[in-house]
Formats: sequence, structure tokens, C-alpha cells
Amino acid sequence: MLASFFRIVKFSLQDIFRNMSLSFMTVLILILMLLSINTLIVVRVITDESIKTVKEQIDVSIYFHPESTEEEIAEVREYVGSFPEVENEVYQTKEEVLEDFKETYSDNRDILSSLDELGENPLGPTLIVKTREPKDYEKIINALSVPEYENIIEAKTFGDTQVAIDRIHSVTTQVERFTYFLTALFATIAFVIIFNTIRVAIYTQRAEIGIKRLVGATNWFISGPYMLESLIFSIISVAVTYGIAHFSLGFLDPYMSVVFGEQELLANYFSSHIFFILGIEFVSVFLLTIVSSGLAMRRYLKT
Amino acid sequence: MIVLKNLSKQYTRDSVGLHEVDLHIQPGEFVSVVGQSGTGKTTMVKLLIAEERPSAGKIEIGGWDITNISRHDVPLLRRQIGVIFQDFKLLPQKTVLENVEFALEVAGERKSRIQQVVPRVLDIVGLSHKNERYPHQLSGGEQQRVAIARALVHRPKILVADEPTGNLDSINTQEIIEILKKINEFGTTILLVTHNREVVNQLKRRVVTLHDGRLISDEHKGKYRL
Repeated sequence: MLASFFRIVKFSLQDIFRNMSLSFMTVLILILMLLSINTLIVVRVITDESIKTVKEQIDVSIYFHPESTEEEIAEVREYVGSFPEVENEVYQTKEEVLEDFKETYSDNRDILSSLDELGENPLGPTLIVKTREPKDYEKIINALSVPEYENIIEAKTFGDTQVAIDRIHSVTTQVERFTYFLTALFATIAFVIIFNTIRVAIYTQRAEIGIKRLVGATNWFISGPYMLESLIFSIISVAVTYGIAHFSLGFLDPYMSVVFGEQELLANYFSSHIFFILGIEFVSVFLLTIVSSGLAMRRYLKT
Repeated sequence: MIVLKNLSKQYTRDSVGLHEVDLHIQPGEFVSVVGQSGTGKTTMVKLLIAEERPSAGKIEIGGWDITNISRHDVPLLRRQIGVIFQDFKLLPQKTVLENVEFALEVAGERKSRIQQVVPRVLDIVGLSHKNERYPHQLSGGEQQRVAIARALVHRPKILVADEPTGNLDSINTQEIIEILKKINEFGTTILLVTHNREVVNQLKRRVVTLHDGRLISDEHKGKYRL
């Protein structure tokens, strides 16, 4: 049994080296398929990061009347904080709001001098609310648009953000759908190409399979080397693809950091998901090659 | 050694491979099976090596009824019958030595035994000096000798030769026939399927003639009569 196993390993390696061009083409096709999958992962990471960045820039500001009391403001804060959709809230006192205002308009002397002429701080405290999803802002705004809060809340940035929120929601949904479609398309193309590459490889060796059967080889002895070749091709293609991806991410990351600010965004994502990505890619390629080999060989192994 | 009882093979309603053939071949015989193309000679070979299953009748080889042989047992059968073909059927990616070794490797033979048997068999067919060559580097006659060596490594009791000289010139044909006669002298039963008149007439051994799938004559020191 052990001798047969070592013979299968020997025949498998002989096949790979003696059919070098075919082996090379098979591995190349597998690498191209894996690179397309990695490209999709990169697109996915960039899309998610873009959406996250845009979402982070959206918030709802609740402007309180300057005369509102601390108790009234605390009640509204507590109410807003009770919503599970709220991720965080930042409260700015009248003084902090005034400081921000002055800093924003530090180049505009007219506005600053008008503020000085008033003599007192005309701005009320502000509560900046951030929700987990952009669609949740509407719920918060609606919850605060009740008569009890009319005398406490002066304004809410509802009108300004709703269009943007809707648009972001629509864009993210479309991008996600497109990514799913692209993934399905690539997977189908890859499957068909790999399946046919393996079938052609087996087809070119059909005469050999017939001869092996003729001299008394069992089906296991005939198919063993092909199965082992599938394993070797899978390992090589996943390893080479990882090398190419690693190199490419090092090249892409500086550009990503300009857009998103985060250093080594893609490299970090790949490092933190390396076992998952390599595992899934290896299992997919191995299953694909072994199923293709099995199906292609089946007709030549019938007695 | 080989018993065919009322053996028939029908491919389709209009295509008959063999029709009710009865044949008994004794151990150590040298039997030529002759007939024109499409008369069932190759069908008979395919039935003997279980590449085809009979439609009716019975096949026994060395007392083993292989009429309904299971897929699992087919490799065992093929290790007990040596077969050579017109197109040699050598593995193109393997050397002469590897082609012959392969027949023993598939049977799980030990390496020491393979190293002992293979050089001896290659010596018998006169190819010891070319054991590192690939099939495409050999002449037709040499390729057929490799095929014979491969068929002999299991020390089969039966050697089936399906048109073994069909692709060879007269000199190589003569060489192959001489090797087959030598193998027969060692006690191996030979079933030679051919339509080479000269070869059959020169052998002066038993001749079985097929026509339209039927056995029409069986002569113990026969000639090619078609």
C-alpha cells in the first residue's frame, strides 16, 4: 500500500515535469482565476472603506435654544441615547460652539465683528448624533420632532442631510449589488475555464489512461497521480497568487492612504484575513480541479 | 486454458461482433485466428480481456469464468493475460524500462523483484541496450518488442497478440513471430489474431477462421484459406 502511494507520487511528479507546458498552462489559468478573486476582494475592501468614510462624514446636528436649561438638554440627550441605532453623540456647550464658529470663520472679519457687536453668545449648545446606518437618521429626527421638544430644540439638520443620506444609501446598495454580480460572473467564468482546461489535459492523456487500464492498473492507481497533480497545482497557484497579491498591495497601498488616510489599508486587511482568504482560495481551487479531473476521467475509466 | 461456449456479442440489432462461437484452446497451444476485417477477431480479443461483455454464452480462462466479471476484478484478469496490439500501446512519456516496469508497479510488486525481472525480460526481446529510450526513439519492430516484454513480465499463461505485425515490415514481422514462437516454446499459450497470410502459412499451427462473426473452420495444422 505504501509502495503504491510512493509510486503514485513518483508518477504524478513525472507527469508534471514531462508535460511541463501543459502543467504550466494549468497553473497559469488557476493563478489568473485566483488573481481575479483577489481583485474582487480588493474592490470590496475599497468599496467598504469608501462607504465607511462617507458614512463617517454624515451626522445630525441638533441645535438647542440658547435659553434651554441643562435639565431639558440632559432629558433630550438621554432620550437620543436610548435609541439602539445611535452609535455615539457629542455634546458641545455654548462656549465650545462659539469657539468652533469663530475658528470656522476666522478669515471673515465681517462675521466676527458682527459677533462682537452683539456682545453676548447668540449660539445655543449643540448635540452631534451619529447613527450606525445613514437610514437611521430619519428615525432620530422624527422622534425629536414632537411638541414637547419644540421649545428646547431650535433646529435640526434634517433637510440638509436627507438627500445626501438617501443618495449614499442608494449608491452603496447599487455598488454592493454590482460587486455581488461581478463576483458571481468571475466565479462562473473561472469555473468554466478551469473545468475545460482540466478536461483538455485529461483528454490529451486518454490514450495513456487506456493503456494503463490495459496492463492491469486499478482506477485508483490511474486517477491517483491526477488527484495529486490537482493538489500540487492548487498549492503552487495559491502560493504564487499570494506572492503577486502581496507585491501588488505594497504598490497600491500608498495611493489608498492618500484617499482614506489609513496606512497599508489593503495589506492590513489581507494580513488579518490571510488564513480565511488562503483557505477559501485553496479549497475552491482544489475542489474545482479535483472535481473537473474526476468528471473528465470518469468516461475513460469505465471498463 | 481458454474456453468459449456459444459466445455471442451483438453491438446493435444490425451489428454482430460474434455469433455462437465455440472454441477450446489447450495450454501451450499456438492458435492463429484469421479472418477478413470486421469478422469479429478484435471483438474476440476485447471479450477475452473484458473490455467488452458478451451478449450471450460463456468465457472461461484458466478455469475462471469471466463472463460477468466485476469491474473490480478486471485489473486482476489483465495482469494474468499478456496482450499486444498492432499500435503497440506504449506509454509515450515513459522510457522502455519504465513502460515494462509499469506493468509490475500497478500490480504492487516489490522494487527488488521489479529490478530482477525487467532486465531479464528486456534481454529476452533484445532491448537491454535501449532501456532508457522513449518509444518515439524506437523503430516499429522495437516498439512491438517492448510491448511483448511488458506483456511477459507477469509470466502470463496466455499471450493474446492482436495484429502484432500489422504495422511492421517483413523483416520485423519475422522477428516478432520468432519471439512469439520462442515464448510459446516456454509453455505460454499464444492466441495470434492476424490477417497476414504468409505468417499463418509459415507457422503451420492451429488456425481458427472467422467469417461474419461465426467460426467457419478450425484446423490443427491449418493454412490461411480466405
